[in-house]
Amino acid sequence: MKKIVMLGLAAALLSTAALPAAAFERVGDRKVIVFGGRQQVPVIDPHVRYDWSIRMMQQSLYDAMAKYNGNPAKIEPWLAQKWESSPDAKTWTFHLVKNAKFHNGDPVDAEAVRYSFERGLKLNKGVAWMLKDVLDPSGIEVVDAHTVRFNLKSSYAPFISWIPWWYIVNPKQVKANEVDGDYGQKWLTENAAGSGPFKTKRWEQNVLYELVAADDYWKGWPQGEKNRPAGIIYKIIREPAAQKAALQRGEADIVEGLTPDDYDQIKSTKGIVVQSHAGMTTFGIKFNTQTGPTKDINLRKAIAYAVDYDSFVKVYNGAAILETSPFPQGMQGHVDVPERPKQDLAKAKEYLAKSAYPNGGIELDYYHVAGLEEARRIGLVLLDNLSKLNIKVNVTPEQWPNMVAKGSKPDTAPNMTSVYVTPISTDPDAVAYQYHRNAWGQYFAMSHYDNADVNALIDKARTLGKWEERAPLYAEIQKKIVADQPEVFGMIQNRRWAHRDYLKGFAFSPVRFTGEVDLYPLWIDAK
Amino acid sequence: MVLFVGKRLVLFGFMLLGLLTIMFLITNVAPGDPAKLMAGQNATQDMVETIRREYGLDKSLPEQYAVYIGGVLRGDLGRSIVSTKPVVEELLRYFPATFELVLVAMGLGILIGVPFGMLSAVYRDSWIDHATRIFSVSGVALPAFWFGLLLQLYFAVHLEWLPVSGRLELITPPPEPLTRLYLIDSLLRGEFDTFREAFQHIILPALVLSFPCLASILRVNRAEMLEVLQSDYIVAARANGIPAFRIITVYALKNAMLPTLAIIGLRFGWMLGSTVLVETVFDWPGIGLYAVQSALYSDFKPVLGVTLLIGFCFIFINFLIDLAYGWLDPRLRTQ
Repeated sequence: MKKIVMLGLAAALLSTAALPAAAFERVGDRKVIVFGGRQQVPVIDPHVRYDWSIRMMQQSLYDAMAKYNGNPAKIEPWLAQKWESSPDAKTWTFHLVKNAKFHNGDPVDAEAVRYSFERGLKLNKGVAWMLKDVLDPSGIEVVDAHTVRFNLKSSYAPFISWIPWWYIVNPKQVKANEVDGDYGQKWLTENAAGSGPFKTKRWEQNVLYELVAADDYWKGWPQGEKNRPAGIIYKIIREPAAQKAALQRGEADIVEGLTPDDYDQIKSTKGIVVQSHAGMTTFGIKFNTQTGPTKDINLRKAIAYAVDYDSFVKVYNGAAILETSPFPQGMQGHVDVPERPKQDLAKAKEYLAKSAYPNGGIELDYYHVAGLEEARRIGLVLLDNLSKLNIKVNVTPEQWPNMVAKGSKPDTAPNMTSVYVTPISTDPDAVAYQYHRNAWGQYFAMSHYDNADVNALIDKARTLGKWEERAPLYAEIQKKIVADQPEVFGMIQNRRWAHRDYLKGFAFSPVRFTGEVDLYPLWIDAK
Repeated sequence: MVLFVGKRLVLFGFMLLGLLTIMFLITNVAPGDPAKLMAGQNATQDMVETIRREYGLDKSLPEQYAVYIGGVLRGDLGRSIVSTKPVVEELLRYFPATFELVLVAMGLGILIGVPFGMLSAVYRDSWIDHATRIFSVSGVALPAFWFGLLLQLYFAVHLEWLPVSGRLELITPPPEPLTRLYLIDSLLRGEFDTFREAFQHIILPALVLSFPCLASILRVNRAEMLEVLQSDYIVAARANGIPAFRIITVYALKNAMLPTLAIIGLRFGWMLGSTVLVETVFDWPGIGLYAVQSALYSDFKPVLGVTLLIGFCFIFINFLIDLAYGWLDPRLRTQ
């Protein structure tokens, strides 16, 4: 008996003996890059859903006619080598490259583009909102095998800014996998029919997603054929501490979800690089402008002048910049609005005196997403700042779905809600429209802001074809919004990733979502 | 016996129906619109309606309930709005991982808890007893996620003995499924390297999960052993010169195991439900993680599915424990 026990113990110890330090994952001679991310990728159908992790995969598996690249982000030709629009921005013609092919060898032609846009519009999911108001499937015209024309229902200058998010699928593959006229939705959930630099390999939900590089990718590889990776493994690592551990051990080459303190601590670690870049995700404290005490513009101004804005940056250990207008700094058409409130207690009291609550004595709710530590800490800053105006703040954590539900109607929207908003195009319409009356009900419009002049300016600006005509309108829109103070304009936090120093080719572009990385140019420079 | 089992089964069905009804109501009165969440942040109202129709969320609550219960009776637990897949398919995918983790954790709990409970009773108020008391109190008191992170930092990052998370190394393909329990499948397939990897990956999460259970088993077993060791029949056995080892392991332990068995049953169900934290910390792809991810998106069909499955397991295991009581205590059989 004793012998058996001893043998068992020895076997257990032997099997748990020190693991070799993690080396690069390899397939043959080529290395596999491991990305540690918090969020799963339940669906990769490019016309059904998107968020940062889904889009990172879609961007790797599919191509669009154009692609956002660089900082500041610019739209570059991709499947389309060039395009032109009519002076009224109503007709857009795209000329496709001739060497692009899908992973199964089929050419990427104008019919594939037409089918993909038709599919996106008819499914009425995911990206459909971007174009459904201006584009009808019947308005997409195949001019020849490599030319496609979009005849819009009305003039729409921001049209081109959405093109990078409309990925082209192979119609033959999709139709071959249709079930009950579902446009291949079931099949495309975990399969791809694209022409992108990677193909799907292993798809273990909630565990990992493995992509393999397309050997004969039509656009070639920016890091050179010799250096390109064999593939990418996107591994789900939910806890920041576990992400940090995986990076330190070399089990992950790049991670996206560390805490601000972790990023600061790890950036001085040998062999690890922290990427920190100002994105376009703005943080604002949205006032309910339609009901409750915050309906009073003087109270809103008083609060905006009482806030200690520097604290917003301190919450991120300095890895953030303050907003200088409702539009993020990286956005086309952004102008600094000098009238934007800065902390000034005297002015705050002045506005409070003009409000319906000259002595304060009120309680205001501040909602933030439960578990978002930074938003909670900003609530505490607010609590402290507003106590000087004799205003009490109830800092309330709430689950995101519940917060969205509450904020969708003026009657239920909290007095103040902390909201992060990421515009997904560089066209200013993407931000301006958040302040349009038509945006009510959306999470970014929890202010339920309504100014007829602003609405009219937004409507007009999106119909003009020339940027020179649009730019002054957007400058005016920004000033008017600041004057009405529908929110406390906060900060733009840096987007951060930590990676091993042997990982090369990281290219930041602010228009991508939080956490999203362009996997195409990445490579490992080590033996 | 047949009547006993029959009665239990009917009760079993009613309990599950009650559980489902309560959970259905709770999940549906909770604020939050899953269709809106899935449609995306910028989706228009008609896009939200498209999704609502597709998943039957446009129907009234009683209609949704009737459709859901009808589906459950046919073995259809609905479709996840996040993954778009049938919940049954996903439970079959995730449950084996949880089951394997709980089995190993329970094994650890029993293998450590019972002998140490026994030892601390036999050597009452000695250093062994004090050490096991401290050990078991910390087992109940330590939060699982914190303990898990500590173990990760020490054994995975500092010592580099064990992996941080997951069930296997990234490049290792899972063994061809037979039972979907990697430890068993890899052994049956003769893939010993995979077995070694799977074993290394399960040690830390199983240890964290087993800790509170181990502590309860240890304390209950100790208390019962103390009581049994003072019984007349044990005194008689000693007087008859039966060796102490035999008295403790055969005569005393069997009777002391009755309440311990009840605790094991309860803890098994508890473990299934409490894998949530452990699975999150160790990225263990089981039903706990699946339930949490679904709840975060207000995707309630998977939450209901997981609840039903855990409820089923909990009731079933307690049913087995009832039967085991009969085996351990002949008096219960005659009753």
